[in-house]
Parts: sequence; structure tokens; C-alpha cells
Amino acid sequence: MEKKFFQTSIKDSLFTGLIALALFGPIVGLRTVAKNEVLEVHPKWFIVLIIVIVCAVGRFLTNLYIYNRDQKTGIQSSIGKSISNFLDTKGYQIALTAIIFSVIFPFLPFTDRYLMDIAIMMLTYIMLGWGLNIVIGLAGLLDLGYVAFYAVGAYSYALFAIHFGWSFWICLPIAGIFAAMFGVLLGFPVLRLRGDYLAIVTLAFGEMIRILLLNWYQLTKGPDGLTGIPRPSFFGLPFKSFPDEGEQTFHTFFGIEYDPMQRIIFLYYLILVLALITNLFTIKIRRLPIGRAWEALREDEIACKSLGVNPRNTKLTAFAIGAMFGGFAGSFFATRQAFISPESFTFIESAIIVAIVVLGGMGSQTGVVLATVFLIGLIEVFRDFESYRMIAFGGAMVLIMIFRPRGILATRKPTITLEKSSSK
Amino acid sequence: MSQKLLDVENLTMKFGGLVAIDNLSFSADKDKITSIIGPNGAGKTTVFNCLTGFYKATAGSMFLNKENERLNLKKFSDFKVAQKAGVARTFQNIRLFPQMSVLENLLVAQHNKLMDASGFTILGLFNSPSFVKKEKEAIEISKYWLDIIGLTHRADDDAGDLPYGDQRKLEIVRAMCINPHLLCLDEPAAGLNAKESAELNKLLLFIKNEKKTGILLIEHDMSVVMEISDHVVVLNYGKKIFQGSSKETKNSPEVIEAYLGTEE
Repeated sequence: MEKKFFQTSIKDSLFTGLIALALFGPIVGLRTVAKNEVLEVHPKWFIVLIIVIVCAVGRFLTNLYIYNRDQKTGIQSSIGKSISNFLDTKGYQIALTAIIFSVIFPFLPFTDRYLMDIAIMMLTYIMLGWGLNIVIGLAGLLDLGYVAFYAVGAYSYALFAIHFGWSFWICLPIAGIFAAMFGVLLGFPVLRLRGDYLAIVTLAFGEMIRILLLNWYQLTKGPDGLTGIPRPSFFGLPFKSFPDEGEQTFHTFFGIEYDPMQRIIFLYYLILVLALITNLFTIKIRRLPIGRAWEALREDEIACKSLGVNPRNTKLTAFAIGAMFGGFAGSFFATRQAFISPESFTFIESAIIVAIVVLGGMGSQTGVVLATVFLIGLIEVFRDFESYRMIAFGGAMVLIMIFRPRGILATRKPTITLEKSSSK
Repeated sequence: MSQKLLDVENLTMKFGGLVAIDNLSFSADKDKITSIIGPNGAGKTTVFNCLTGFYKATAGSMFLNKENERLNLKKFSDFKVAQKAGVARTFQNIRLFPQMSVLENLLVAQHNKLMDASGFTILGLFNSPSFVKKEKEAIEISKYWLDIIGLTHRADDDAGDLPYGDQRKLEIVRAMCINPHLLCLDEPAAGLNAKESAELNKLLLFIKNEKKTGILLIEHDMSVVMEISDHVVVLNYGKKIFQGSSKETKNSPEVIEAYLGTEE
């Protein structure tokens, strides 16, 4: 038995090496160089050899230690079990620690401008992930065009703020409402679609919004983007080093030295609060009838109909509410960057957000945070090796898929339990 | 004479050239169990799909008589049949929400009531007392039904983890949670063993006698049909070939012919 398994593993890894050779041979092995106006081929077979060996040996090792069913204590199951056990029992404490940590984070000794920027970016992705989690994780509607709502939020915030001069706190809900309206707009034509078909249409919708932004030059300034978006102010107190005559600014009001970090810290807390609101809202709405109807719709639409649940309204609310949070995140993005252009809203953004939700474990709020920290963190760690960043991103996905095929946190907790509600 | 709960008249359903139901008329009584039987492909499930709005009938009429109104079921599209007319159904292949808990399954069935109480979510977000009270009532109703089928101890487990027989029973009480006037059961005894079908019979008789809900039953398991039906309608090739009490059905030559064929 053991010997036979060994043999099949070797066969399998040799086959993997063959596939690697076929793939990387032409891509990596044959490099064309223009020399004396002639194109020459410079073969790089040594690198190909290394890649093939790495693939084959890697496959052999995963066969031996991870996919080996005979091994009762496979790494895969043991790591997975310990992670989910740990998170199940200590979930509350972990969430509390994470929140306390993120509150004091700006004042930790090692925190600098660079780390703050990364933290703000991560929180934006976490918020987007939580917003999309409503659509994908709860309602089970695979939306590949989520970045469209992010863009709608950003642009409506920017346009209202620039043309009417309204403050952040007025433009924020407006941006949310606009994004929600676009959510309904997308929702109507796709009501009957599910799964792959829905994914394709939403993907197209995301591209449509981007192309619209690119070409509606009168409104959006097309590829030039919108500049001069007002920076957020601290309850009417702007962050400026040189205030105009008689103007109160944040540092003069509090009588402290001006420091550009003040604005960054304010932005950090702003996105932290917005993200936490998204989270609290989702946790709460999951326990309401509408949240349960979303999950029921994900499980079985026909059964929902037979119980008198209106699938149209239920789906549309999921799209609208998910889009609304995307819009909020978009207005934050606009005010933070002070400049937006269609380039910030490409498909890759949607793909990253979907990856965060799926790899985090559909419907799991904590999973979204873990996946964001893992994926975005890895991209940042590899910032210096720019061309390898996407390899790191892909590698992270592969690792999660090997060890946690259903997402980092795949366990679902009931929204209501009989024990608790009857002991109340 | 008690008024009939359901009147189906000249119901016809065609799929292209195929006539699945041909000019079918029958009625079902309140607090009676009416069985629809027939060989495979006779059009039994199609009748259910027409009744519950999943298909639009080609011709004919279906009326549901409540205490003082007469509802034309043809006017309601899919989910509205359950929501507005109070016709609940179960499915041949169980359709629970497998990854949701047993209790959640029953709460989804009370969705419309709870949705109104939660003020379309806004009141619910702020835990308004009226919503909390309604939700408690809904949990009590769920608990009542779980006690009846003896699954209270598993209320917080995933519905998909229940044994097959329990899933069948759960689907029936989930349909009962919408408080229907008419309950349509599509082969509830399929795949059950003798003990489980006996329990099923008890449950159906309880629903009929205590809840005064009319039951329409499609079934192949004759032990269930013969024991609890008050009235049997036999279909073959979309046509009604016989109707009567279970005893009459058993001895009817037409029915025997449809099931076993004739001696040549």
C-alpha cells in the first residue's frame, strides 16, 4: 500500500514537471532580444530547469504530506482544525483585541507614515470586503463588478463636493444613496440570473461604469480625472499648515504644532469608524428577517418562493445595501486621494475584493479581516520586488486554497439559537 | 354541506404539443386529506406546480375558498400564492436550507409576518419592542412545531445534518409555519421506512384534525395513501380516471388497469 502510494506520487510529480515544462518552456525559456536590428532568441534553459524541478518537488511534497489520506494527522486538517477551534472559542476576545489594537495603532512607537498608509488601505479593503460580503457571502450573488459602486461613490462624492462645496458628512450619505441606486439598477436586469451567468453580467456592468467615466468628459473629465476634491475637515476645522486670515484650523484650535500626520491619523480613524459601522450593521442585519431571507435565498430560491418570500425585493435590497457600503468606501477614497480617475476602478480591484471575501470564507466577517491582512500585507511586503508582487498574491491564494479550501473561516454560526432565546 | 376548500375546474397544462394535464377537475375539502395518485409521469407534480404558481396553467380555473372570499389562484404568481393565498407546498426532493439551523428554517417561513414587524428592517435595526415581541412569538410557534415532530433538541443544528426522515418532517412543519389554508405535499413518504411513515401519518392526521388545514397529497406509498386519505383522485396521462374513497379506489378496475395493465 505504502509503496504503491509512493509510486503514484512520483508519477504525479513527474507529470507536474512535464506540465511546468510545457508552460514555462516557451514563456520563460525563449527570450527574444533585439540585436543589430535583428531579433535573436536567447534560450534560458537553466531557469526553466529550476522552475520545473521546484514544481515537481513541490508537487511531490504536497502529495506526501498534505493530500495523503492515509496520514491521519495530515498538516492540512490539523492546521485547519486548530485555526478554526482557536477562532471559535476565542472569537470574541480576538475581535476585541483587534479593535483595541486598531484604536491605539496610530500612537504606537513604531507607527510611521508608511505603516499608516498601509493601514488605511487595508481598512478600505476590509470595508469593501464587508460590504461585498453582504452580496456574495449572505445573499450568494457572485458580483464581479463591485468596484463600479466604489467608483460611483467616489465620483458622486467628488462631484458634489467640488461643484456645490458641500462638506464630507453631507456628501457621504449622498454618495451612499447614489451607489445604492446603481445597485438597484444593476439588480433589476440580473434578477433571474445566478452563478456564472450573474458573474459575467456584473463583470460587464463594472466595465460599463468604468468606460462611462472614461468617456463622459463633460462630467467626469475622462482620463484626466477629477482634481481638487476637498480634504475632509475635523468638524469644520481643516488640516492646513498655513491658515488663511482669521481661519481656525485643527492645530490653531487645539493650540498644538502643525503636523501633516494629524490629517493622516484623522483619515485613519475615519475609515476605522466607517468600517466598524459596516461590520456592526452587517452583524445586526444578519439577525433580522431580511438577513435570514438573504441566506435562505442563497441556499434555495425555489424553497423561498414556496414560503412566500419575495425573491425580487430580497435580492434588490442585498444589491442596494452592499452597493451603499461600496459607495461610502468610495467617498472615503475620493477624499483621501483628493484626485480620482477611472484608472483606480479597474477590474483587478473587483477581483481583489472578491478574492478577499471568498478566501476569507463566504459570509465570515472575521475571515474578511484575516484575508485582507494576509493578501494586502503580502503585496506590501513585496513592494520592493515590484514584478514579483503578483506572484506573491497568487501564491497566497494557492496556499489558502490548499490549507483551507472553503476559506480561512468557513464555519457559519446560526443567527439565532433556541437555547439563548428561551433562556432570555 | 361544507364548502369545498379548493375547486379545480377543467385545468389544462400544455408544454408545446405535450398535454401534461388534460381537462382535470377535482376539489379538496377543508380538514380532509385528498390524495392524488397515478403512475409515474401522470402529471401529479404538474398539478402542484400549477396550483402553487410555479407554472402558469394553459386553461381552466383554480379557486380557493376562504371563510368569506373566493380567491382565483391563477391570478397569483409564484411566491404570492404562498404569501397572499396561503397555499404551502413541499417538494419531491427535499428543499430545506441545509446550511441554516432548523430554527432558522422555520423563521424564514414566517418571513412576511416578521418583515412587517421589523418595519422593513428599519425598526428591527433599533430593536423596537414590537419587533422583539413578534420575533419571540415566531420562535414560540417554531418551538411548538418542533415539539410536535420531536426535534426541539436539534433546533440549533444545521438542517442539512438531520437524518433523512427528520428532514422530511421538518419540511412539512416549515410549510405549516406560513399558516396555510391548503398544504400540498409532494411525496412526503418517499424514502421513509415503515416506522417513519407511521410517524408521518400521525403528523398529517394531526394537521388535518387539529389545524383544520386541507391537505393535498401526492404519494406512491399506498400504505400512507390508503390509511389516511379521505378522498383519492387517480390520474393517468394527465386525465382523471377515477375518484372516490380509498376503499373504492382499491377495488376500481380502471385504477388496477392503469397500474398493472390489462390481461390480453
